[in-house]
Amino acid sequence: MQEFLQQIVNGVSWGGIYALIALGYTMVYGILRLINFAHGDVFMVGAYLGFYAVHWFGLGRASGSAGSFLALFAFAMIGCALLGVVIERSVYKPVRRHSRLNALITAIGVSLLLENGAILLFGPDPKFFPQVIESRPMRIVSGVVVTNHQLLVLIASCLLMVGLQAIIHRTKTGRAMRAVSFNRDAASLMGINVDRIIIFTFAIGSALAAAAAVLVGLTNPKIEPLMGLLPGLKAFVAAVLGGIGSIPGAMIGGLLMGIAETLVAGYVSSTLRDAIAFALLIVILLVKPTGLMGRAGDEKV
Amino acid sequence: MSRGLRSLPPTVVWIAGIVALWLTDRYLAPEVNPYLMRILILSGINIVLAVSLNLINGHTGQFSLGHAGFMAVGGYSAAAFSVYAGPALGDSLATASFVLALLVGAGVAAVSGFLIGIPTLRLRGDYLAIATLGFGEIIRVLILNLDSLGGARGFTNIPSHTNLFWVYLAVAGCVAFHANLIASRHGRALLAIRDDETAAEAMGVPTTRYKVGSFVIGAAFAGLAGGLFGHYLMYLHTNSFTFMKSFEIVIMVVLGGMGSISGSIGAAITLTILPEALRGVREYRMVIYSLLLIVLMILRPQGIFGTRELPDLLRSWRRRSA
Amino acid sequence: MTGAALLSLEKVSIRFGGLKALADVDFALYPGELVGLIGPNGAGKTTVFNLVTGVYRPTSGRILFRSHPIAGRAPHAIAGLGISRTFQNVRLFPRMSVLDNVRVGFHREGRVGLFGSILRTPRFHDEETSLETRAYELLSIFSLDGFAGANATDLPYGHQRRLEIARALALSPSLLLLDEPAAGMNPHETEELMATIRRVRSRFDLTILLVEHDMRFVMGICERIVVLDHGAKIGEGAPAAVKADPKVIAAYLGEETTDAAS
Repeated sequence: MQEFLQQIVNGVSWGGIYALIALGYTMVYGILRLINFAHGDVFMVGAYLGFYAVHWFGLGRASGSAGSFLALFAFAMIGCALLGVVIERSVYKPVRRHSRLNALITAIGVSLLLENGAILLFGPDPKFFPQVIESRPMRIVSGVVVTNHQLLVLIASCLLMVGLQAIIHRTKTGRAMRAVSFNRDAASLMGINVDRIIIFTFAIGSALAAAAAVLVGLTNPKIEPLMGLLPGLKAFVAAVLGGIGSIPGAMIGGLLMGIAETLVAGYVSSTLRDAIAFALLIVILLVKPTGLMGRAGDEKV
Repeated sequence: MSRGLRSLPPTVVWIAGIVALWLTDRYLAPEVNPYLMRILILSGINIVLAVSLNLINGHTGQFSLGHAGFMAVGGYSAAAFSVYAGPALGDSLATASFVLALLVGAGVAAVSGFLIGIPTLRLRGDYLAIATLGFGEIIRVLILNLDSLGGARGFTNIPSHTNLFWVYLAVAGCVAFHANLIASRHGRALLAIRDDETAAEAMGVPTTRYKVGSFVIGAAFAGLAGGLFGHYLMYLHTNSFTFMKSFEIVIMVVLGGMGSISGSIGAAITLTILPEALRGVREYRMVIYSLLLIVLMILRPQGIFGTRELPDLLRSWRRRSA
Repeated sequence: MTGAALLSLEKVSIRFGGLKALADVDFALYPGELVGLIGPNGAGKTTVFNLVTGVYRPTSGRILFRSHPIAGRAPHAIAGLGISRTFQNVRLFPRMSVLDNVRVGFHREGRVGLFGSILRTPRFHDEETSLETRAYELLSIFSLDGFAGANATDLPYGHQRRLEIARALALSPSLLLLDEPAAGMNPHETEELMATIRRVRSRFDLTILLVEHDMRFVMGICERIVVLDHGAKIGEGAPAAVKADPKVIAAYLGEETTDAAS
């Protein structure tokens, strides 16, 4: 029982990370019906931005204040938000008028560009995030341990998700985002500046991915140019699991993904850990493709 | 101008072509620079992959991102046949064994196309794409975990049988098959499904049957390509069949023009040569490749040929200059 | 109008989520009839078409064609039984030629299988020639044979609507469902269409059910009219009777129609 609880704790922690990344996928899909394959690589860029923030500016060092910590996150989040917007404006917008397959391939192109650009710029060898917080285990119940790292991830991801929900449901922009995701043309007829909402969505999604990256960097220090592939894919599956296009779905999907993965790795086989994501994907697509919380699109005949 | 080739009965053309190909392989091929030979063979394999994916994505309008999975199934099945059953046939039947291996590969791949097609083809658009992507990966992981197929170390000791003759025989057969298929009642059914599935169904086309059918045929040829691939490298590893490989084939199809067989051929050749041509700027190779891809999607999304075929284009140019 | 009904809907209802789109709709079509299905927007007319052709499955009730139940069968199977249709928003195959659009309608008649097509057997060539000839014949009825090689969507709108009907006829149907065939046509084109429909009905021995908003067209060509409103049948009978029916008038006055001039 204790082991089970421990796995759950570990799983929930990873779930938070996946949820943060999944949100970016789901929000962009919700308004553009585009699977942003480059999103996992934006996550990777976030990790590198965080790395250089610590190295150059000494942000977030253990000796530093909470403010320095927040500055570290802000640096990575703002940087990625800008990156996301630049990608959208320069590449995705021109392709919007073409078919969805073209947009998909463009996204693949951007993904390749980011990965190989990172290899060129940062070198293919992994870098190591300096350990700014020492890992300290804390006992909750007997036999179940949660590290301060995991606690940090949990608290940070919760705060960010609550913040996102607040934006979506309590602000005018958030309302506009929801409108655009339901019906882009109607929203623009209602006077919503759709372009601006799209930019905003990309910015927020990318910022969340960056936050996830910094959290990962703080707790799993190895970073390298292809690190975004697997988490990106898993977060994507998490988004589909929860219902792609649904924000609460992404959060739940991320959580479930983290837990499922940890349980399988712990109880079945650790080599099948990565395959679990795909198995989940197939199951959900065959059983309920719109995901746990998704809504089906209707075709008028 | 004479009607040339077209006035001869097809059977004669085929036999002549096969003989010519065999002679080329026997006498000219050994003189060719091995590097060039490698490019020729890989181009041929990529042509079969691109044309068969085009049937699914271009002509039938389905969104398959898992073609590498079918290639893997075919490649490994063919290799397994050669390695495990081949020796029983002995050296004198080596060629027959190879042909059988290829047929086995294509057959098993076709079955996998059927098994995967049935559940996933209920899905539309993006969901279908994601599902095929997922299946491609699952196939890869399953093979990776089978020690009898080499596991993580890869499948070795595959006999070397693939040469120019077999590859281009496969290419000719593949292209002819697809061209004839498209210009028939069944091809029109596929195109109708691509254009408007609901209307096609209303006009009496059993759409599910045809969608699955396109999957099965596409998978079979991908499996054939896989078999040729394995017997060329004499070694197979699942790393060759990741979603990146599926993307590369998709890019070939889109670059050539979805729905254009000539486009797929041209793009397959171009994209086989391109990485080699960029070898000089090795570090920047992938960056340039991805930039080219992005620019192409923005500026010419319909690909080089769009939905047209080379013979039609030539005909309209001739008419215009006449 | 004696004998068994060709098509009959018996207490057909369908819900979409919480919305009841059709409630206990009952009517029948007899062989050779030309019947109009009218009603304000949203009354459920296209829904009836979709139910008959198998796109939707009714929540309750029966649909009988030649006395056999067809509700819930696959659309392509229903097409094979002899029911063909056109769509409210023209649904041609946009990237195929005019000729090919019609040839798709002949799909079910083709007998040559995959291998015959790949190997180009003599049987294949014979069948292709025969289907092509018949496709041209159909096109010429609608004066479209000159456009055979053109892309379907390059045709003017009125021609596209005619092409859709030609394609539907390729199925050799006994029942033809026309969804707003005159939409977007000027008065001259509408007159031509009425003549074409009459000609086609006698030549191919068809039963026709059509949905239309153009009242002059409906009154001019239909022998009998069924009226729907909010998913229920509110009237049925000869055009003159229906036109004077107070319930029908009320249903239409409840909605602002632009077709008031009829």
